[in-house]
Amino acid sequence: MPTLEHDSLVFRFPQIEEEASFAIDFQRTLRIPDSDETYHLPPGLGRFPLRHAEDYSTRLPTHTASRGGVIFPMWQAEAMWIDFRNIGPDLELDFPVAVKIAAGKINAITGDPWRAGLTRDPQDYVVSPEQPWLDGYAVEKDVIRQFVAMPLGECYSAEEQLTGEAEWGGLQISVIPLKKEVWSAKRAAWERGKAALQERADILPDMACMSMEMSLAPGGRMHQAIEPDPFELDDWDTAAADRVFVTLVHGKDWKTVTGEPAPEHPPTARMYTEAGLPWFSHYGADQTALPGSGTLRGLKSAGAMHEILTGASLPDSEDVEVKVVVPTEPRRLIATGSWDK
Amino acid sequence: MKHPGRTEEPAAVGRYIRERREALALEDASFSLRQVAGRCGITPAYLSRVERGEVAPPGEETLVRLARDLGEDPDVVLAMGGKISADLRAVILARPQLFAELIRQMKKMPDSSVLRIVRDVRDGNW
Repeated sequence: MPTLEHDSLVFRFPQIEEEASFAIDFQRTLRIPDSDETYHLPPGLGRFPLRHAEDYSTRLPTHTASRGGVIFPMWQAEAMWIDFRNIGPDLELDFPVAVKIAAGKINAITGDPWRAGLTRDPQDYVVSPEQPWLDGYAVEKDVIRQFVAMPLGECYSAEEQLTGEAEWGGLQISVIPLKKEVWSAKRAAWERGKAALQERADILPDMACMSMEMSLAPGGRMHQAIEPDPFELDDWDTAAADRVFVTLVHGKDWKTVTGEPAPEHPPTARMYTEAGLPWFSHYGADQTALPGSGTLRGLKSAGAMHEILTGASLPDSEDVEVKVVVPTEPRRLIATGSWDK
Repeated sequence: MKHPGRTEEPAAVGRYIRERREALALEDASFSLRQVAGRCGITPAYLSRVERGEVAPPGEETLVRLARDLGEDPDVVLAMGGKISADLRAVILARPQLFAELIRQMKKMPDSSVLRIVRDVRDGNW
């Protein structure tokens, strides 16, 4: 089972490798405008606070408490990205894991209903460290639609658009390590390579029906490749999978549930951009990036749905002119002060 | 978790042992100085000097025996005597950097946060 450490979910598989771990945290960010434009990566503004659901079971709906896992607060129309940190036994040796992510039990990569195990055609998971983060639903090759929180039961989420039900909300995550023999072979190859390098160095001189629960709707378009799995499907040890249910609690209810204040509203894309702060670009080995899901491509974005439901535009939906784009290695976090309106 | 009588003062563990022993002796005569010393394998005179803080706190084995005899948590009594149990020491020494970093990070955390760190995230029905 994962542990909760400094607002990260930390997965360890000591039976396979004692000196490795894989951590997931949920980054606060700007909501990118929900338009035809495709935006660069918005920044990470710090982790959402994560708490054990069971610690607040008396103040959560019974079905939420029974799902276990963790809770964190999101305001309506707030965006989020999922940060992956792969901590291998050495700086030069990652510990690959397959990560399956669903929102409202709709797979964020394929749009299919949640199921255990891994599927290859189409690939329904991402692999860390190849995939450094996930910002939303994979709708096209190199394009995702940002995860945007909307109240469960108001028809915005992928789950509600695809199933007609508002049963689950939240996020569902499963992490799968390599089989021990596959990992051991990878580690041994690395150790042989390291020994060879050292020799050379020696020679050289040198949620459901409750307004409290939030679900994730597809928001604005963002450049992001979903990297293909470099391993064989059979290399993964699906029997060793760990999973966790993440319930999203509406920001307005967070204090009632936990006694703690919810984080402030994040800045709007306009405020952030006008302050001259950077957006980020990241290009992986995206020649072979996955094509995105036709099912997810057909969904209405949060902005489009808001117009249908209310006749009004979602606030802060106007395009912004991004002037500062910084190429980034995995890590796109920036320190911020207070941004509350 | 409030640790009773926790202090850096060397005599504190002796005073604590005496307070606990005398409180128990009010109800049960087997907690006399002589009988407790006998069960813990030390002389009554030595126990008396420990209780009065006239000697350095006893070694780990004796402190653990005293703690158990008085119904106290051995780790708490050891800490009051300025000691860490051998099993904990072995755990730390096996991965010194990891535990040093962890313990330093946890230094200022409230107990509730420390407990959260070591707990698994429970899975449920979904």
